[in-house]
Amino acid sequence: MSVDINIIDSLNLFEDISHAELEEVASLMRRIRVTEGEVITRQGNTANSIFILLSGNFMVFFKEGRSYTLHNKGDIIGLSTLILPFYYTGTAVALTDGDVISIPGQELLRLIESNSALGGKIMKKINQIISARQPFVTGRC
Amino acid sequence: MVNLLIEFLSNTGFALAGYQNIIMILVGIVLIYLGIAKGYEPFLLIPIGFGILMGNIPVIRDFGLGIYEKGSFLNYMYYGVMHDIYPPLIFLGVGALTDFSAMLARPSLILLGAAAQLGIFATFLGALALGFAPNEAASIGIIGGADGPTAIFLTAVLAPRLIGPIAIAAYSYMALVPVIQPPIMRLLTTRKERLIRMEESRKVSKKEKLIFPIVGFLLCCFIAPGALPLLGMLFFGNLLKESIVAERLARAARSSIIDSVTILLGIAVGASTQGDVFLTGKSIGIFILGASAFAVATAAGVIFAKFMNLFLRQKINPLIGAAGVSAVPNSARVVQIVGQKEDPSNFLLMHAMAPNISGVIGSAIAAAILWSFLGG
Amino acid sequence: MYGLDAISAHNGWQLAALGTSIVFTGLIILSLAISQIHKVLELWDERYAYYQRIKKFMQIKHRSEATVSDPVLPKNVKESARQFKLLIDQMGEPFSLPKLLDFSKKCGLLHSHSSVNDLLQAKLIIPDGNGYFFWNHDVEKNIKISTKTSS
Repeated sequence: MSVDINIIDSLNLFEDISHAELEEVASLMRRIRVTEGEVITRQGNTANSIFILLSGNFMVFFKEGRSYTLHNKGDIIGLSTLILPFYYTGTAVALTDGDVISIPGQELLRLIESNSALGGKIMKKINQIISARQPFVTGRC
Repeated sequence: MVNLLIEFLSNTGFALAGYQNIIMILVGIVLIYLGIAKGYEPFLLIPIGFGILMGNIPVIRDFGLGIYEKGSFLNYMYYGVMHDIYPPLIFLGVGALTDFSAMLARPSLILLGAAAQLGIFATFLGALALGFAPNEAASIGIIGGADGPTAIFLTAVLAPRLIGPIAIAAYSYMALVPVIQPPIMRLLTTRKERLIRMEESRKVSKKEKLIFPIVGFLLCCFIAPGALPLLGMLFFGNLLKESIVAERLARAARSSIIDSVTILLGIAVGASTQGDVFLTGKSIGIFILGASAFAVATAAGVIFAKFMNLFLRQKINPLIGAAGVSAVPNSARVVQIVGQKEDPSNFLLMHAMAPNISGVIGSAIAAAILWSFLGG
Repeated sequence: MYGLDAISAHNGWQLAALGTSIVFTGLIILSLAISQIHKVLELWDERYAYYQRIKKFMQIKHRSEATVSDPVLPKNVKESARQFKLLIDQMGEPFSLPKLLDFSKKCGLLHSHSSVNDLLQAKLIIPDGNGYFFWNHDVEKNIKISTKTSS
């Protein structure tokens, strides 16, 4: 399912991005419906896609039993698609039915490389997200 | 009838095959395996690998099948290689794909791309020392530019018989950039240097991005006219991209044209790689020199970045010097990964694109200079 | 001929030095030219600066607030709370949320994921900041109290 640009316009990740740039990013996105209990990422698998939450509630857990939960629109799962270690460091599961946007990592990376301005804005936002995460999840998932 | 059968059997590949054909066919299969199973530069290694298979099937001479026989299918495909048609068309696509903003925002990083071209000239000297003729040495040296089309472009005019091993060496090492570069980068930098965060680049206006292809093309080709086919198409492709009004042409350049030419180039280069040239000591020399070319280019870029830091108030992370090796965008991604190993939140990718792109321009200029010195 | 003699014989040193110099010179000139482009353009655009300022002032960027899926507390939060409290008492605190889910599935609790979410939204389960969770006894008391008054 393709993504309506008005939905992503309000997301924190794309806050400083122009309409034209947003259209470029939106062309890569797919909207996916997830159901309660559905696994979105599995720890150890190659990180192919980033997921942005539109609705629903999610839990990301790690092998040692630690976890954190995500409840807000715009929360991101799968940043390891763009940064080390390029495999999912946690398993993400839907706690309730919801909608997510999936972006293929390689295509996003190509877009970032071909458009420095856009890439800089996105990477800066990702940096902020990583810095804000709690220490036990820094650099994870 | 028996005579006919005997004549037919004597013309089959089984009867005509020599050990060189068999070995080259195995080489072709290995390249295809590397491309498909390992994902090493699949867009080049698969066509080249299959081209090797096509070019090393034993055929009767003067039957119009061999790549060097006028009028054969492979010969027509090879025409684009020999007359330097394919590499500029690939550069057209590269220009239509590339965003020059990173380079425009911080022009000083262009010098890192220049420094990395030291790998070309150092390898040129090394090849001379090993007994290669100057034209061959220049063709081998250009591997250090880490640019496949440029390597093929120069080799086609200076040492066409070496196109096969040089192209295979160039593309193989481009695929191995993530293996070759990181140890050199870590060896030449301190942890403190690797942790340097670079300031955000200024925003580049649309007008700058439109003016640059024209200014850049005129300047570069006035300095090195031999770079006209490569840089002309590179900047033209970029102008199509930035102009937006010609988006359809830009799209064609970066998709159907570049893909079609890549197929033709790969097959032709592969088919031209014959056993009598590839299975020689020269090829081993080419592969060794090619590896050293990459290493020297990487080292030169990193060291020059450290040198620049002696004079700059706002330091640059010397790791990005390694991206002056113009394997776009592989070497920029390698810089990103090496930098992130020290600090996961340090994003160097955008900054590394600047020397990466200037490396493409630098290697084209270097090729033009070598052509003007040694051609004709 | 090999080695340094070969290089000298073919004027290798001169070619390499000259070639390197030309590449550097060319790219330095390019770098200098690029560094001036935006300044020239700025000079050209200056007369439009006032117009751009007005235009920028008039631009109103509409942003819709990121809508949070409102945590609507389901009617059977109290029942979920009772069941999960029993499990958590067995696991001890702080507990691992994925292990709680596994445990609840083994015990045959239905819709364990959404039930856990309900408890998170109701702040009956709260994170400890280290990836583990606590049962919020204060909120539990409030729920019991509200149930008492309503009945």
